[in-house]
Formats: sequence, structure tokens, C-alpha cells
Amino acid sequence: MKIFLARPAVRIAIAAAFMVLFVVAPLVSTPFLNYQFSMIAVFAVALLGLNVVMGYAGQVSLGQSAFLGLGAYIAAYGVSHDWPISVVFVLSCVIPAAVGMLVALAAARLRGLALAMVTISLPIIGVPLAKRFPEFTGGSQGTTVSWLNAPGWSGLADDQWRYYVVFVIAAVLFVLGRNLVRGRIGRAFAIVKSNEAVALSMGISPYRYKVLAFTIASLFGGAAGFLYVAIVQYTSPETLSFATSINLVAAMVIGGSASILGTILGAAYYIVVPVLAGQVDSTRTALISGALLLAVLFLLPHGLVSLPRRIVQLVNGIRRRGRSTVIDPPGDNTARGTAVEPESQEQTQ
Amino acid sequence: MKNSLFSKRLTGTVAVLGTAALLVTGCTRADVGGSTSTATASPGITDTSLSLGISSPLSGPTAGPGSCSVAGLDSYLEAKNATGGFEFGDGKTRKVTLTHLDDAYDPAKALSNFKQLVNDGIFAYVGALGTPTNAAIMPVANQEKVPQVLLVTGATAFSSDQKANPWTMGLLPTYYDEGHTFGALLAGAGKPLTVAVLAQNDDYGTDYVKGLTDAIAGSPVKIVDKATYEPTDTTLDGQVTQLAASKADVLMSAVSVTPLQVGVLTKAQSLGWLPRIFLPSNTATPATILKPGNAGAYPAVYSTSLSKVPASPAFANDADVKAYNAAFAAYGSKIASVYTPHCAWSYAEGAILEQAFKGMKAPTRASFMEALKSIKGFHAPMLLSTAVVDTTKSDQPAISGLALVAYNGTGYAPVSKY
Amino acid sequence: MAYFIQLVVEGFATGSIYGALALAIVLVKRATGLVNFAQGAMAVLATFVAFGLTQAGVPLILAMAVAFAFAFAFGAGVERFVVRRFEGGDPDTAVVATIGLLVFITGVAALIWGYEPRQFPSLFPLQSIDIFGVFVSVRSLGTIIVLVVVMVLLQTLFRLTKLGLAMRAVADNPQSAALSGLPVSRLLMVGWGLAAILGTVAGVLVAPQLFISPGMLDFALVYALAAAILGGLDSPIGAVVAAWFIGVVENLAAAYIDVIGNDLKIIVPFLAMLIILIVRPEGLFGRKVVVRV
Repeated sequence: MKIFLARPAVRIAIAAAFMVLFVVAPLVSTPFLNYQFSMIAVFAVALLGLNVVMGYAGQVSLGQSAFLGLGAYIAAYGVSHDWPISVVFVLSCVIPAAVGMLVALAAARLRGLALAMVTISLPIIGVPLAKRFPEFTGGSQGTTVSWLNAPGWSGLADDQWRYYVVFVIAAVLFVLGRNLVRGRIGRAFAIVKSNEAVALSMGISPYRYKVLAFTIASLFGGAAGFLYVAIVQYTSPETLSFATSINLVAAMVIGGSASILGTILGAAYYIVVPVLAGQVDSTRTALISGALLLAVLFLLPHGLVSLPRRIVQLVNGIRRRGRSTVIDPPGDNTARGTAVEPESQEQTQ
Repeated sequence: MKNSLFSKRLTGTVAVLGTAALLVTGCTRADVGGSTSTATASPGITDTSLSLGISSPLSGPTAGPGSCSVAGLDSYLEAKNATGGFEFGDGKTRKVTLTHLDDAYDPAKALSNFKQLVNDGIFAYVGALGTPTNAAIMPVANQEKVPQVLLVTGATAFSSDQKANPWTMGLLPTYYDEGHTFGALLAGAGKPLTVAVLAQNDDYGTDYVKGLTDAIAGSPVKIVDKATYEPTDTTLDGQVTQLAASKADVLMSAVSVTPLQVGVLTKAQSLGWLPRIFLPSNTATPATILKPGNAGAYPAVYSTSLSKVPASPAFANDADVKAYNAAFAAYGSKIASVYTPHCAWSYAEGAILEQAFKGMKAPTRASFMEALKSIKGFHAPMLLSTAVVDTTKSDQPAISGLALVAYNGTGYAPVSKY
Repeated sequence: MAYFIQLVVEGFATGSIYGALALAIVLVKRATGLVNFAQGAMAVLATFVAFGLTQAGVPLILAMAVAFAFAFAFGAGVERFVVRRFEGGDPDTAVVATIGLLVFITGVAALIWGYEPRQFPSLFPLQSIDIFGVFVSVRSLGTIIVLVVVMVLLQTLFRLTKLGLAMRAVADNPQSAALSGLPVSRLLMVGWGLAAILGTVAGVLVAPQLFISPGMLDFALVYALAAAILGGLDSPIGAVVAAWFIGVVENLAAAYIDVIGNDLKIIVPFLAMLIILIVRPEGLFGRKVVVRV
């Protein structure tokens, strides 16, 4: 099965299948479903940024929502002042990146939780700041915008057009991100994450790469903010809130940190679970979401992306029970909780 | 070997193309959303039923009022359904159902809930609590021509320009009105009074302050100090200390959070500052705010009142309150466990909807809106007799007529002079 | 001048609220090496237990004692059955597990008692004392005194007792602690149990003022984390001093710096924290961590 999947032809076929799915889906889905898909794309971009700095580079960031919110505010402001959309997009990426870089320059020498605290302070400071300058942000009421309406020649509805725009941008950003983490920079991040002293001895400056990681994360966060305004057409100080940051970190771990596919799964979890919880019982959403989160972490501590691997392990574990008393090779974590049958003494082959 | 590989690839490609073809040719997208044709019925209404939707905060710090915004309405609707249903202007009797979702006061979540409810085919979106949440929904509701009405918020934005947003309307008198009512009382005193203001740092607070400021303009009453707070603040002791230094005669405490309001009452008197105090209508309940805050120490505590308090002995024999208590015990108590005034307000909202249904000649959203905006001089159950429902004005919410009341040691009594 | 002192005194009182929770966070960090995001929620749940008992007519002190016992059992149980799985693994996963606990425990509390804030009986009477023109509430004084006592007890536990030493050993290096014969599992559970009690002390102290509700300590948690980290995550004294610092600075900035006012006052302590941490990364009272390469 693994060998089948590794074949390039099969991979291309699967990728093509998904491409067709993505392209065709909005044409046959309801506006609500398109909204959900689009929001998954928006938060996938935000999570990708978070994953770069936290999953790949190993630096705790509890402030990603601040960059999401900042990008959203820039986009809302630019759009309501009729700036060209490409300019708005560039600014939504560049300004948060600059802010992230400045913060990182100051704070990247800090370790662990001190750095986390600095990142926590970003949304904490951001919310009252957003309320303080209503000329730019619309204050606590927020700003509504109306843009990215489907052009006449496309024959599409608004939600379909926005879906395509967001998906194309998200896809491009994902390709960029993927290449980044698989390239030289990604390898440097991995070394900085595992042991800074080793990195230093190899000539890789942990400080520089941490700053770079934060800048990239903030850039993606800002881009996600732009996409957010494209779909929701509204932003307010709640977008910046600390609670959003916490939920983003949870979604990243649930999906699978340091994994591109995990990022997408995490975004899907982030968007879908509240809707599911609401369907079950809308007055008990916290209970259901919390229980679900704990359940997923218990069963799949490495995230949803590790599900295939886990199933393979479980299957192998069951298969191996019937065989010899060969000691399990190290690293093969046969699942706890599966029934342990007495080891068979027979040699079967 | 080659054959099996080739056949695998072929199977794969065929499967992919097949799925794609199915998707494209198979289901076409159902057109959901408001149909503007008057001949065909709007979504969510049949000959025997009508479905309403609401998204309010059912978790988090605003969950108390949020749950009440659902519970009171649900109680009214279910109680009426149990006696046969609502009578409509087109001669049919229908049962009205309410689907409720939780948005935890997050605008993006509220928007998602709204879209989900519309997708599921509700007739109208009613009674939602929250200002940023409804602000996010307003443009979408108006674009898709879905009624977004009787919103449980006092923000002026939802009612002040109904020509621009014809499908949106608020339920409650605005925060501006409350501040203005109080300011008018002060201005009417005819003497130079000093006022200290404590207001929430958002439109709730600024609307109050604006109402007050406008009412006292040109009078000898002056605002001498202002402080703001965030709903997430742990305590307002610092703000109260700051304001106490002004030694103002009057304090307007536009605080919407119960524990903080109690803290204001206890702190001011502990500093030896005993001004006359004004409290907003949703944080003025004697049992939960005034008694714990020892409000009796102050020379006067004013507030505005809109509804009857179900637990108060003054209303024990009131027919409205008895009906409310019965309905709430049977239905609403499953949704909200603690009383806030929003429970009574959303119950009254049910009665207003009933009036609208009576005037609905056709099973369409447009007809509903027309009927809803034609109600005049209606006294809804659970509202005080001073409160009147008048939906005909295009810049006012549904309910107007705030009564200015003062605390008399056990409850509130109407007051007209300072 | 009296105004200034009044603000400072109030800053101490508010800071004590954060400090009480910060001590619990420090204990968990010292004993098990983790930061527990659910610390506030666990404290609130136990405080709710006390609340429920007082509603049923049980006297406050007895209700508190039962709540403390519940907190210990609950904290130990959470460590054993939920957090144990994630210790020693990816720290991010452990943090997210505590976040999951936070949401879940909040949901449980809301299920039983609802979200609306309720009144909680106060240990201290609701009067104020006039000390040279400065009004201090008895409740604030009581909170500060209890906080200082607990802080001293905690510091003594870590520095002078065998239990404290054992807990620090386990947190520092679980494998060699186990090899030295220490009952690692039991010590971890005790650490979380004690921290839960500490959190409950905080909850019971602040509930009369904040009104008990499932989200009562949510925002205080952020301040408590800030205080714990600023103070140097391993130091009880540091956490309390940092918490007082945050409370006082906030109040003074709001009152005296007009540009900042009440809404931006939160920026000042966090900015100060950033500067202090850059100059002294281990925090005000923390020990410098040296890692052997």
C-alpha cells in the first residue's frame, strides 16, 4: 500500500483528483458549505504561519491572532478606502511581518516561557489599541466592508467567487510554505529547534533564524487576515483576541505540528468542531469541544495527521500478537489500551 | 507486472474522472436564500409551521443574558404552540419553532451560525443578543433579504437607519435613550450638579455618555470626570478611586457586568463618597446588585425600568408574571438557569412576533416585515405599562418608553424629579 | 498624596488576586515542569464545590475544607489520568492538553451551575479601615496576608523540606529521581494536588469580589502567568512580588498618565515585563538556567 502511494503517477492522480474536487465543489455546494470551506482555507494559512514558528522552529507563539487581526484591519481599511486590491494584499502581508520582525528582534533572545509571555502580550495589547483608534479600526463596533463581489463575466455567485480567490491565494502560500520548510531554511529551523548550541556550532545563528521564523509566521498571519476579511467581510477587536491564539495553538497540535497536511487538518478541525458541537447541543458547546480535544489528544498525541500511521501500528500490533515472541523493535509504540493477549510460543512464518 | 500496474493507473484515472463527472452533472446547486417573489412562499414557512432561528452567546461571560435571550422567547413560543399555535393574517394557524445556536460572542461564529440557519431554511432570524455579532450579520441579512429583527441590544446602529437596512430592527430602547432619560432628570433639577461618569469602553458606554451629554447640554449640570473600563477588568476599584477624588454629586455607572457593578457600589461608599447613582437597566436588579452592594447607603439610586421582575413580591399576583413563570418553568428553564432581565424582554418579544404574525397576509418574508413594522400602541406582556411597542418609526427600535425609577429599599418606584 | 497611596494600596490588593493564582502555577511548574493553563479552571471548579455546599447550608469554613480535599484529589487525579500521558513528550502537546482541560472543566462547571456570576460568601467582613486617610478594605488586607503566609509556606516547602527537594528532583530529572528510589508517580500527583489546593485558596479569596462563575479566573490567569514568568518561574516570592508590581503599575499608569488612561493601562505592565525580561531573561528572582551541551 505504501509503495503504491509512493509512485509518482499515483500521487499525481490523487493530487489531480483533489484539484478537481476543489474546483468543482463550490459549484455544487450551498453558500454555507462554501463559507466553511473558505474559512478552512483562511485558518489553514494562519496555522501554517504558526506551524512555521512553533512546529518547525520550536518557538512558542501565543500571539498569532494579533497578526491575523492586524492583517484583517489593514485589509478592511484599505478596501473601504478603495485602494487597489493587490496593494491591500501586499500591505496586509508586509506590515504584520514588519511588526513581527520588530517584536522578534527584541524578544528572540528569550527562552521558552518568557518568549511565550511576550507573544501573549501581543493580543492583550492589541485589543485595547484597536478600540482606542476607531478612525482606523471602527472601534469596538468593528468595520464592515463590501468587496470581492463576483464580476459579471464569471457567472458565479459571490460566495463562489470569493472561495476561488481565497483558495488560489492560499494554495500559492502553501506551496511557498512547503518549499520553505523542505528547503535549507526549514532544515536550519529543525536544528535550531532541537539544540541551539549545536546550531551555533554549525554556524547557524539561532537568533537570526528565530527572527526569520517569527517574521514568516507574522506574514502568513497577516495574509490570513486579508483572506478573513474577504470571506467574513467584517472585522472587530474580537478577531485579535487571546482566546483565538489559544485555539489556533490547539488546532495546530490537533492537526499535527511540523506537518503541512497537519496544518490543513488542524484548520478543518478548528472550523468544523464548533459547528458539530452546536449540532449536538448548543447549550453545552464548551463541554463537547473540551472533551473532543482531550479525546483526540489521547488517541492521537501526534495529531490527526498521524492517523494512518496509528492505524498501521494497531494493525501490525494485532498481527504480531499471533506470531513469535520476538521483542518489538524500539520505537514501535504498539497502542496502549489494546487487549494484550499472552504471547504465543509458536514460531509461525 | 506491467499489466497490473497499467490497469491500476487506469482504474485510478477512471475513478477520478467518474467522480468529477458525477459531481458536475449530478446535483445542481439548490438556490437557498430569500425569494423575493410574492406569489411563492418564503423558505421556512408551510401551511402548518414556521421556523425561526437565533444565535446568541450560550457560553462564556455573556452566556447569562444570551441564554435568557433564547429562553424567554422559547417559553412564549412553546406555551402558545401547546395551545394550538399562532393565528396568521392569511387565516392559517401555525406552530412556530425556534432553532438556537451558540456563538460565544464571536462575530465570525455568529456569521457562520446565521449562514447555517439560513441554509437550513429558517424564515426569520430574531432576538439575537450582541452588538458586534449582529453588526457582522447585518449586511448579509439585508443582502439576502432575511429578516434580522427584534435584536436584544440597545445599540443605535440597528434601528437608527431602517431605510438603509430595511430588514434589520432592534428590540430594546437604546443605551442613548437611557443616558438621555437620566440626563433629562438631572437637567430638570435646575441646579448646578457635578457628574462623574464610569462607562464601558465601547459603543455601549459611549452611547450612554452621549445620551447624558446631549440631555444636559445648556443646563448647569456638568460632567467633571470620566473613567472607562473593559468588561474583562478584574475590579473597578482604581477607576472608582479616581472618580471619588472629584467628589461629584452624581455618578453615572454605565457598567454592564454584575460583579463589577457591585464592586463600584461597595467601593464608592468605602471611600466615603456617597453620590446619587444611576445604574443601567440590566445591572440594577435589587437581589443581585443592590443588596450585595449595600445600595441603601446612597442618597438615591436611579435606573430605568422596562419590564416586571418575576421574582419580585410586588408582581406576585400579576397575571402576566404568572403566565411567564408557568411557561418558563415548563420550557425556558431548560435553556437558562439564572434570571436576567433579558428573559422577560425576550418573552415580550414573543408577543410582538405574535402581533406581526396576525398581520401577515401572505406567507412571505416581505409580508412579515410589513406587518412587523405596523405595530403601534401595543403593550406586550411582562413590560411595564410605561413601555409601548411602536415599530412604525424608521429610526427607533421596537420598544420605547423607559420609566425612570428610584430604589426605595425593597424595589423600585417611579420617580419624576431629582 | 493620599490619592497616590490609595492607588498603590489598591494595586497591592488587585495584584494579590493574580499572585494567589500565580503561586499555583509556580508550584506546578516546579513540581512537574509543566505550565498548567487549566489552573484557574480547576480552582474555580473546587470553589464551586464550596459554593454548592454553602448553598446547602454548610458553614463556610467546613465547605472550604471539603473543597480543599476535593481539589487535592481532583488535581492528583488529573495529573495521573490526563496529564501523565503527555509528560516527557512534546511540551506543546502537553500545553494543549491543559488547554483542553480548561475548556472541558469550564464546560462541566457551566453544566452544573450555569454561566451567570453568583454571590459567594466572604471570609472577611465587608468593612473598610481608615488608616491616615487611606481606606483599606478588610477583605483586601485579609487577601494580602493570606497570600504572604502561603508564599512563605511554599518557599519553605521548596527550600527546607524533604518533600520539596524530592519534588524538585522529580521535575528536574525524572529518570535519575526514579533511579534514586523516589516514588515519582506519587510525587507528581502530590505536586498537582497541592497546586490545586493553592488555586482553590485563590478562588475562595477572590470569589466574594469577582462573583463566582465558570470564567471567573480566565482573565486573571493571563496576569498570573505574566506574574509567574516575570518573577522567574521557579520562585514563589518572585511571583507574588511581580503580581504586586503589575497591579500597582497598572493603577498608577491609568490614573496619572492621561494618554494611557484606563483602557490602555494593561500595556504598561506588559511593556515593563518585556524590558525586564530582555535585560534579565530569567526573571526578577529566577535562577539562571545553564544547559550542558
